Amino acid sequence: MRALIPAVFAALFATPALADQPLTINFAAEMGGVPFTCAEGYDGIGSTSSTVEVADFRVFVTNARLIGADGAETPITLDQDGVWQLENVALLDFEDATGTCVNGTPAMNTTLRGTVPAGAYTGLAFDIGVPFELNHGDPTLAPSPLNLTAMFWNWQGGYKFIKVELSSTGLPVTHDANRGWALHLGSTGCASEARTVAPAAECANPNLVAVRFDGFDPAANTVVFDVAPVLAEANVDYNTPETSPGCMSFHNDDDCIPVMTHLGLPFRDITAGEQLFATMR
Amino acid sequence: MAFDWAIPDWLPPPQVPGDITMSDDLVDLGRHLFYDQRLSADGTMSCASCHEQARAFTDGRAVSVGITGQAGAFSAPSLANVGYLPTLTWANPMVESLEFHALIPLFGEDPVEMGNAGREQELFARLMEDDFYQGAFAAAFPDRPQADLFTITRALGAFQRTLISVGSPYDQFVYEGDRTAMTAAAVRGMELFFDHRLECYHCHLGLNFTNNLVTARSTMPETGFHNTGLGATGGIEEFTLTPRDQGRFRTPSLRNVALTAPYMHDGRFQSLEQVIRHYAAGGEAARLGQPDPLRDPLIIGFQITDAEIADLIAFLESLTDEDFLTDPAHDNPWPVDHPARSGAAAP
Repeated sequence: MRALIPAVFAALFATPALADQPLTINFAAEMGGVPFTCAEGYDGIGSTSSTVEVADFRVFVTNARLIGADGAETPITLDQDGVWQLENVALLDFEDATGTCVNGTPAMNTTLRGTVPAGAYTGLAFDIGVPFELNHGDPTLAPSPLNLTAMFWNWQGGYKFIKVELSSTGLPVTHDANRGWALHLGSTGCASEARTVAPAAECANPNLVAVRFDGFDPAANTVVFDVAPVLAEANVDYNTPETSPGCMSFHNDDDCIPVMTHLGLPFRDITAGEQLFATMR
Repeated sequence: MAFDWAIPDWLPPPQVPGDITMSDDLVDLGRHLFYDQRLSADGTMSCASCHEQARAFTDGRAVSVGITGQAGAFSAPSLANVGYLPTLTWANPMVESLEFHALIPLFGEDPVEMGNAGREQELFARLMEDDFYQGAFAAAFPDRPQADLFTITRALGAFQRTLISVGSPYDQFVYEGDRTAMTAAAVRGMELFFDHRLECYHCHLGLNFTNNLVTARSTMPETGFHNTGLGATGGIEEFTLTPRDQGRFRTPSLRNVALTAPYMHDGRFQSLEQVIRHYAAGGEAARLGQPDPLRDPLIIGFQITDAEIADLIAFLESLTDEDFLTDPAHDNPWPVDHPARSGAAAP
């Protein structure tokens, strides 16, 4: 915040109106408090304290705003960089296609870059996900990052808001033991005539995750994404038969029961708890 | 004048390498080379020998066979929308362009395909004896009017990029909005395909039903190589030397899949039903009750009824683009008695 004040004075002297100022929000990915890379496995994940390897770690964020001391929210205008940021949506990509991150992309993106009107801000808020207006388009027509098939479900479901894919190595491997456990967060209950047709109205469960930090200084603080607290009560060494491997947000998947509440989302008749995926330091 | 891809507005064109400009002359030269048996050392094979238009540019064999009769290790992949694939071949992640790839069938020695290894000067001379090529190379490459490694591979690449297939009943249903284009069974099959019980669409998704995609609008190519529980050795591990890559092969496109049997990298499955039952079992090892630690974590098996299998096959059949299979722009342009069709030397 201190850094914003000289900029405000400079803007006042430069023009009669307040100028916009550039802004970078830094993000980091961790697994149980350990910085995430594609080079290693991570211990202590889930209810069995399993050891997992991570194949993918990508997250969409949207609706980013700074919070003023009076609580007023000011939208961050994202730089339209033609790759990671499109309108008010950004893809954060913590994998680099090396090591365990098979089938990823070499490029990474760990920052949100944009501008805000000059002012005094004390906090940060954003949503994890893609807004409805952009979530159900055709990725063959969309610009990057909405044209990445790896992040897409189908027209009806939209995009994967969180894509973290694990395979557990901590238990003996048998022929019928599932080794894959994926967290795919997306909108569910989207009504349309077929899975390849976009819904006309909002989905029953949009499943965007609201994140808010009342005291956040972009110059000093980092947003940390960590899937370990979200999965603390999930068994990543087990998948309920006839359901997606892991929790892919679907209503019929019991594996989502201990997970969705820790994303701050209601699931079936379970009320939302506090979201634990995004913290700051 | 910009090249006319003749594709629907909704479709982004393929990416094109920086060292060529697409033109009708370049594509026409490539088309003639593609169907020319004189491209092989003994005149018996052309590219079309393993890539027949009526089979969506596959050859109906489990693995392809070269001019010496040596069988290769792989089933010839379909060339439908090949310009949208970021890598070529089933299991070599380093072959990143059609131009580079052409060198493999032309000059490869294990297996021998078209057999020109060490004999490229003969190949170039053989082509330039033909008046047609003297004119065609000059039209496509005014600054280097000759058959050489650069011009042959660029022309073949340009032609292959025009092999674009987006006219199937599925395309009409989804992209053109014609809700009558697919049968009821195919629509039921589509719901299954995109459902999380079967998870087909986790790898077979997007424009070409594969997680391998690059278009003119891509800022980063997407690749996908998976071990689908076939118990196969090799795969991209031969190039990455990483043990976990053993048995990982490129996800194929499912466009025109009804025409591209047999299936998998080694053509082991004759029918789509066999493929579906393979995935339903969770792979070969699972079927035999054995561990398969390298199998992709998303392949876990599923329950499926016979009626659902029939519907799923109906959906896969809706990916057949009849216009593409018969498009005169992509067929053999040589006159019927021409030496290009017999491999004989020009008179």
